[in-house]
Amino acid sequence: MDSTLVTNRQRGAGALIGLAFGFMLCWSGMVDPDVIRRALLFEDAYMFLFMGSAVGTAAIGMRLLARTERRAVLTDEPIGWTPERPTRRHVGGSLLFGLGWGVSGACPGPVAAQVGQGMAWGTVTLVGALVGVWLYLRADGLETEPAADAPQPAVAAPA
Amino acid sequence: MLDDQIAWWIAGPVMGLCVVACRVLFNGRLGVTGGFSELLGKAAAGRADFDWRGWFALGIFAAGLLFVVLAGARSFDGYGWMTRTFEGGAQLWMVPLLLGSGILIGYGAKVAGGCTSGNGLAGTSALSPAAFASTATFFGTAIVVTVLIEGLI
Repeated sequence: MDSTLVTNRQRGAGALIGLAFGFMLCWSGMVDPDVIRRALLFEDAYMFLFMGSAVGTAAIGMRLLARTERRAVLTDEPIGWTPERPTRRHVGGSLLFGLGWGVSGACPGPVAAQVGQGMAWGTVTLVGALVGVWLYLRADGLETEPAADAPQPAVAAPA
Repeated sequence: MLDDQIAWWIAGPVMGLCVVACRVLFNGRLGVTGGFSELLGKAAAGRADFDWRGWFALGIFAAGLLFVVLAGARSFDGYGWMTRTFEGGAQLWMVPLLLGSGILIGYGAKVAGGCTSGNGLAGTSALSPAAFASTATFFGTAIVVTVLIEGLI
């Protein structure tokens, strides 16, 4: 199949999954920093049940995928992933992340949905998050996402 | 219908299926910070040929807009403890607070290789020990910080 077509189908699928994901972030109330705050104070179990059932569902799906030697529907590549061992950066980075999450009551998905909803304060958090990502990319430019997530080979830009 | 918080046992599994869909369709690991990183990296290079991760993030922005259009109103008011604590001109304090939080969130997630979605959802469901370490750390930290703020204000 034409590789451009494959890439465009991936983009379309990514956008649709993002739409479903973001819509559920809005409908579940995860975009509201107060809902997150009440959960983190253990006043409301919703977020933990939501998160737990999400992980549980995904884990079952991933187990089923791991058992069979399937190929990805759109890209025809073998489906697989390598579990990573915990290192200092996972803990250190997550300490910083948890600090920002606790103060703002928002993490990247909800922040994007807040901005989509036209919430001005969310824009401030988003700008901060982009600055944070930018500082990282500038500092060492390392790709920390798993290999399966590595960006597609860059096509040489026309002069 | 959209005014009421959807049942967790519907919303949660839908989020889980999003993770599985990324694997089944293109063997990708779902993650919002990866999407931000893709949008920013490409945009900085003057390019707009974002991969699926960038489009995934754009889909979330669009979902917020779609929700407001369908529901007829934003799904929440204010910004948690901050808009209750700071009033009038004091709300300017929220700018450095949110900007600083955002920087910690973006930088921290990149260092850790994922945020609440990439590590907390996609990573843990793939039974990645690194994702469990990340998730336990950011949940623990956020709980301590939230309790401290609650005690201070």
